[in-house]
Amino acid sequence: MDSFPSGAPESRRLADSTAGTLSVSSAEAKQLLTALHTLSHYVLFHNLASPEQILAVFPDTFHSSLKNLITKILLEHRPTWTNEALANQVSLPKLVEMDWRVDMKTASDSVSRMAVPTCLVHMKVQDFSCSGGNDSLSSVTMELSKETLDTMLDGLGRIRDQLSTVAGK
Amino acid sequence: MEKNIYTSSIRHHLAAIWNSATQHVQFVSLIEILYQFLLEPKETDRFLTQLNEFAGENGMSAGPLRSLMKSVLLLPHGALKKNLTAEQVKEDLLNLGVNEDKAAHFSNQWKVHYAVLSRVAVGQTLMVNQLVDMEWKFGVTVGTSEIQKTGNIFLQLKLIIKKGNSTENVYMELTLPQFYNFLHEMERAKSAMDCFS
Repeated sequence: MDSFPSGAPESRRLADSTAGTLSVSSAEAKQLLTALHTLSHYVLFHNLASPEQILAVFPDTFHSSLKNLITKILLEHRPTWTNEALANQVSLPKLVEMDWRVDMKTASDSVSRMAVPTCLVHMKVQDFSCSGGNDSLSSVTMELSKETLDTMLDGLGRIRDQLSTVAGK
Repeated sequence: MEKNIYTSSIRHHLAAIWNSATQHVQFVSLIEILYQFLLEPKETDRFLTQLNEFAGENGMSAGPLRSLMKSVLLLPHGALKKNLTAEQVKEDLLNLGVNEDKAAHFSNQWKVHYAVLSRVAVGQTLMVNQLVDMEWKFGVTVGTSEIQKTGNIFLQLKLIIKKGNSTENVYMELTLPQFYNFLHEMERAKSAMDCFS
């Protein structure tokens, strides 16, 4: 299952360890890894969820119990791989964390006595599309007045209503 | 009110010009110009134009009138800062030498406009990274390079934040559970704010 990640066929380390474990040459190990990699991605792409669908991919002359074993392993790992693929797909930076606090403004340079509530929201977003595994995690803090928060909740409520309409269909 | 902000020249201005030269009608329109500016402090050009017109109509020179009004503005600003009532404002005006009618008119206007004036003052209070606008869209991911057919719902938010004089756009994507959590947290924040008002 190490063959799944996208860089796997090129990885010398993996090829060498495979060659060692299976007692084959490293060229054959590389071939094996590439084949497994292609197969697992094919299963994922076409969403082959049942054993019959996966078995149908193998040629007729393929060794039968090996075929069953590989199918079993692929089926087992498919959900994990699906989630991983969806999480790593092309997208805008993803929200990672969010917290808030409500403060009470009691004085300022323009008014020496007041009681104005205000809300501070902090969000951490992570951009997965940066190459080299160097995800950029950025954070933003913003201040919302009562009116702004009310308006925002209006908007969020509308989203929720539309979502439940879509889900209900 | 701190008397020391009122130098003798301002007292001279207020007493001399307000009491003697201006008729009540002129005084009323001058005060109206003043309050219009207080209620909309960003309209500086309009304020100056109105003062120039007033000076022209009443045979005064515009320059001294402008500098007079600039010092007169110190009075309402100080009063707002200290949350003074109309009675206190009137008392201060009388102490500065303004006559009874004019002081009464000014403080009446103060009472009328006080709610809006304090809201304007609060509005000028510092806000850090103020959220100005929020845009959103949600949709369904139909397929990706890894998975040919999928039906994954996503929500994209664009938050427009005021940073100093310019705005910054923050883009992000939320999954459905994240969205519901966000909505829930914002509702909690709102009820926390509502406790206080």
